[in-house]
Amino acid sequence: MRDKEEKSLKKLIIVPAYNEEASIEKTVELIRQEADFFDYVVINDCSTDRTGEICEARGYPVVNLPTNLGIGGAVQTGYRYALRNGYEMAVQVDGDGQHDPKFLKQMAEYLEENGLDMVIGSRFIERQGFQSSAMRRAGIRFFSVLIRLLTGARITDPTSGLRIIGKDVLKLFAGEYPKDYPEPESVVTVLGRGFQVGEVPVVMKERNGGKSSISPGKSVYYMIKVSLAILFEKMRKE
Amino acid sequence: MNVRTQIVVAAVLLAALAIVVNMVRKRRLELRYALAWLGLGIGILILDCFPELMGWTADQVGIASPTNMLFFCGFLFALIIIFTLTVSISRTSVKIKELAQEVAFLEKKLREMSGAKTDASADSSEKKEF
Repeated sequence: MRDKEEKSLKKLIIVPAYNEEASIEKTVELIRQEADFFDYVVINDCSTDRTGEICEARGYPVVNLPTNLGIGGAVQTGYRYALRNGYEMAVQVDGDGQHDPKFLKQMAEYLEENGLDMVIGSRFIERQGFQSSAMRRAGIRFFSVLIRLLTGARITDPTSGLRIIGKDVLKLFAGEYPKDYPEPESVVTVLGRGFQVGEVPVVMKERNGGKSSISPGKSVYYMIKVSLAILFEKMRKE
Repeated sequence: MNVRTQIVVAAVLLAALAIVVNMVRKRRLELRYALAWLGLGIGILILDCFPELMGWTADQVGIASPTNMLFFCGFLFALIIIFTLTVSISRTSVKIKELAQEVAFLEKKLREMSGAKTDASADSSEKKEF
């Protein structure tokens, strides 16, 4: 917070973590190695395992939420933290090790060079690395088409959590951000406000530990909820 | 409906109203949420005292049986209350979220402050925050 005369923008990595004791260290150490030009903060979403203790023992900057807010609430906590501490760019890197921090630099540069407001790391441009199951890909494709129909924008990976945002979108998200399954919906919010969104090809890994928040039983609910959320978001903008 | 039923119903209603009023008095129930229940109690009390009113209103809105009208109104009332509660839950959950985030920020600040105090003597190079 002291180095105001620094040329490059202050960038923050938000690591939302819920019961990620198996992979949090690995994730943070990777961030320190691969993306040391970013500051980072772990948002411990009231984990019941040792995630919080590990972070504190290791001296990682960590925000411990007193109740479980879900992924949307946790990430928004990160955005609020970023805004308060004067960051001008923020990116979410999941605590389960799916997101490789080595892409962050490239994403940040892409955002700055093209004057964009949001850059999404997409698995489906070069189709490398972990591609998720066929079912999930079909779901993602559906959202992609829906967003295309509603906004005209071509977003190949609207469910990607690896997204870097600039200051204006940061303000928007700090104010309001969906509670659960926020990614596709918030892309529509951003597009609806006339912000510029771009995509960069990335390679994602399979998660190191922990579980996906979308279990098979929840996937029907997920599809319906997110589709409706996208439609409502579209109605809101007018 | 004979007079005896009317008296029993009135007694039950008055007891219920007394409970609600007492809860508001003791601040266990907020007045704004109690208003609907008080209104309902008083409304039924009026109908209990003047049963002819029911037949008359049913006639006015074109419902053949007063009982049906009563059921319909009761159902509608319950739905309205439930809906109001859903709205208030949504609002409350946003507030809780914001409070939780605020508490978390404060906790972090506190932790760093007490950490900085203990580190002051040990001279740690890692602590450059504030």
